[in-house]
Amino acid sequence: MTDRIKNLARYRMEDRMLFIGMPLLVANIALAIWGSGYRHLHPAGVLAYLPAILFALLGVAFIVIFGLYLSEEQDEFQRAIWVQALLWGIGATLTVITFWGSLVEFELVKDLKLMFVFPLFMLITCIARLVLKLRYR
Amino acid sequence: MNRRVGSPAKYRFEDRFLFFIVPLFVLDGVLGFWGFHYHHLHPAGALAVVCAALQSSPIIAFIVIIALYLAEENDEFQKSILVQSMLWAIGVTLAVATFCGSMEKYSQGPRVDIASVQFLFFIVMIIAIGANRWRYR
Repeated sequence: MTDRIKNLARYRMEDRMLFIGMPLLVANIALAIWGSGYRHLHPAGVLAYLPAILFALLGVAFIVIFGLYLSEEQDEFQRAIWVQALLWGIGATLTVITFWGSLVEFELVKDLKLMFVFPLFMLITCIARLVLKLRYR
Repeated sequence: MNRRVGSPAKYRFEDRFLFFIVPLFVLDGVLGFWGFHYHHLHPAGALAVVCAALQSSPIIAFIVIIALYLAEENDEFQKSILVQSMLWAIGVTLAVATFCGSMEKYSQGPRVDIASVQFLFFIVMIIAIGANRWRYR
C-alpha cells in the first residue's frame, strides 16, 4: 500500500488498466464467446469493421496506457525494466512471426493468424517483466 | 560530425548497423531474389529451418543492437525518443495486425502474410523517429 501511494504513476496505470483496459478486454471476450468470433452474425461491409475496430482498440488502449505510464514514471529503474521487457517482447514476437512466416512459405507448418500477434507480444512482455523482476530482486 | 563524436554510443550503433544488419539484409535480399524466397530450392526439414532462421536473423541482430545502444547511451533524451518511437511502432503494428486479422476472419480483407508484420514495424518506427525528432527540434 505504501509503495502504491509513493508511486503515483503505477497507481494511475493500474486505474487506467482497471477502468479502460479491463472493460474492453471483457467486452472483447464476451463478444467473441457469444458470437464465436462473430461468425454467426455474418458481419459484412461496414458492419465487419466494428468488431475489427473493437479488437484493435484493446491493443491501442494497452499501448497508450503503457506509454502514459512510461512518461509519468519517475523511477528510472522501473522504467528501464519496462523498456527492457518491451524490447524482449518486440524482438521475440517479430522473430517468432518471421520464422513462422518463412516456415509457412515452405509449407512446413500451418498459417498463423494475424490475430495472435498481439496476445503473443503481451505474453512474452509479461514473462520478460517477471524474469527481469526476479533477476533484480 | 560533432554530434557523432559527442555520442560514442550512437557512433557504435551506426557501426554495428553497418557491419551486421546491412550485410544480413543484403544476404537475405540476395537469397530472396535468387531463390524467390527459396522456392526453387524446395527446402525441407532442417534446411527449411536454416532458411527461416536466416530470414529472422536481421531482426534478432537489430533488437540486440538497439538494446546495446540503450544500455550505452548516456543522453536520456535520445534514449526516450527511441523508446517512444518503438512504442509507437509496436502500437501501430499490433493495432493494424489485429484489425487485418479480424477483417481476414470475415473474408472482408486481403490475406496478409504474417512475415510482412516486421516490415510494418520498421517502417512505422522510422517514421516515428523522424516525427519525434521533428517535434523536439
